[in-house]
Amino acid sequence: MAELQLHSVGKRFGDTVALRPTSLEVEKGEFVTVLGPSGCGKSTLLRILMGITEASSGEIVLNGRRIEALPPDKRDIAMVFQSYALFPHMSVRKNLAFGLEMRKVPKDEQRRRLDHALQICNLAAYVDRMPRQLSGGQQQRVALARAIVMQPSLMLLDEPLSNLDAKLRDSLRHDLVALHRQTGSTSLYVTHDQAEAMAMSDRIVVMNGGEVVEIGTPVSLYRNPRHVFTASFLGQTNLMPVEAGNRQARLPWGDVVPLESNHRGAAVVSLRPENLALTPDAAGHGEITAVSFMGAQANYVVRIADFNLKASRSGGEALLEIGARVAVSVTGPVSLLAETPALGRAA
Amino acid sequence: MIGLHRRPRLELMLLLLPGAGFLAALFGFPLLTALLGSFGLVGDDPALTLKFYARIFTSTVLLRSLATSLYYGVVPVAVTVVLAIVLALALRRHFAGRKLFNGLYKIPMAVPGIIVALLVLTLIEQGGFVDRLLLPLGLKLPKMVRDPWGIGVIAATTWKQLPFMTLVITGAFAAIPEDIRHAARTLGAGPIRAFLRIELPLALPGITAAVLLTFIGSMGSFAIPDLVGAPNPLPLSVRMVRAFAEGDMSQVFAIGMVLSAFAFAVLIGYYALTSRVGTAKGDSR
Repeated sequence: MAELQLHSVGKRFGDTVALRPTSLEVEKGEFVTVLGPSGCGKSTLLRILMGITEASSGEIVLNGRRIEALPPDKRDIAMVFQSYALFPHMSVRKNLAFGLEMRKVPKDEQRRRLDHALQICNLAAYVDRMPRQLSGGQQQRVALARAIVMQPSLMLLDEPLSNLDAKLRDSLRHDLVALHRQTGSTSLYVTHDQAEAMAMSDRIVVMNGGEVVEIGTPVSLYRNPRHVFTASFLGQTNLMPVEAGNRQARLPWGDVVPLESNHRGAAVVSLRPENLALTPDAAGHGEITAVSFMGAQANYVVRIADFNLKASRSGGEALLEIGARVAVSVTGPVSLLAETPALGRAA
Repeated sequence: MIGLHRRPRLELMLLLLPGAGFLAALFGFPLLTALLGSFGLVGDDPALTLKFYARIFTSTVLLRSLATSLYYGVVPVAVTVVLAIVLALALRRHFAGRKLFNGLYKIPMAVPGIIVALLVLTLIEQGGFVDRLLLPLGLKLPKMVRDPWGIGVIAATTWKQLPFMTLVITGAFAAIPEDIRHAARTLGAGPIRAFLRIELPLALPGITAAVLLTFIGSMGSFAIPDLVGAPNPLPLSVRMVRAFAEGDMSQVFAIGMVLSAFAFAVLIGYYALTSRVGTAKGDSR
């Protein structure tokens, strides 16, 4: 049985729906990311899990126990906050020991867990510092350690990296993944940053407009998204209208590509920029209209059949110039997309 | 060179004059006069003496007055601070009419002490409003005005101080980030332990400020103890006015100096406390 199970958990504020009834399972030891833009319902979901917002409907089962009616202190969930939320009047040591004291963990067990957490979070040198004497990255590591010592059934992480600068974010992201591997904690990570979600997660729950759009591994969601929202929120893509039939799709400029679905009629497909090959060809249908050289790769905009197509090539290849004519061919999988229900309603 | 340095300094002094001069003339000068007067150096026959202070600290009556002043300072503040914390926590919750209540509770701040004293007098004096309400029930109010325990003074002072204290303490609690409270809860602290271990310590600087400032006010207040306080022993503030009526100016000055000394001590204590917090914060990076 999954460690965490949500059955039709939803939240309404009067007439506004903050979270449509959502069902979700997280296996023991799994690292699952809830990804979505602000206002997508992920914060509401998080507050419901923490126990500071009451769900309007549904059940939550954690480690075999119904928890939706329990107060936050009885839930066995530890939380890492975006703002760190360290206790400013307590030293690092006291911050870490606070939860253990509250849970009445025996003294020697407290010491053992504390030492372990200090060591794996690389904080041993700072135990007697006050939070304000630490840098942002150090503070976030303390917040992590404070959650780790609890050995909770579920770790909730609310955009823990978004207050840090880019470089620190990168290194702490690696630390987080390594820590998760060491502790094996069941983790639910909430973020709006798709790169973070891709790099860290076993699975990603994509949310939009107060509901779950799609759930899958980073690779499957990126390569074979089933919804327009997923395709465009995870990385760059080209959304193209096609005519489908006979497990094939005809692209606007006449190319025919194979499809896995046997859908017939008008549809939308997602073409990743890196799956489009550009070949210089004076008779090609495409014309380069913009070039940006990023180092490892070069990004192009190609005008073809009245569409502006994003394509990328390796930065090592010779650059194509604006105005150059190119032939465009599809080298990777093409995903047929369903409009997300949310987008469907909005239309 | 000197001229260059002097001129801006002179200009600076001139620029400061309207503000600093105002303070010096209306605050510093009377204070100095009072200080000198308390040593017997003002009046028709100036001579340095400590007898007016000696009288306060040796006469049983005046010592009891000093104790009464401290009692009227400490007890109402203690009662008020407990009520204010409860009120501040209640105001944090959402309830019907919260907005209205939020406005209403501040009214006593605008009511002068003497009106408060009269209000307490009419309400809870024996034979007063509440007493007459209770009469048909066969109940009688205990003596709560001009009583030896100063219940009237405590009631009136608390009524007057509660809004200010609540305002400051509400601010102190509101300044604690919500996440910190939630962190304490998710770490296994129930609402009461989260309050005692996390919120109260974090709100303490604000609470301390409110306590010390109201203490100064209630210790030195005159109208309330004069009207609803016990006739004996009188607090120093009332003694001071009596001495004034008798024309014993040097004694007035000496009592005033003693009361001011307490106020200064409290303020210095407060600054010492907050500056320590300040430097502790200052060493962050």
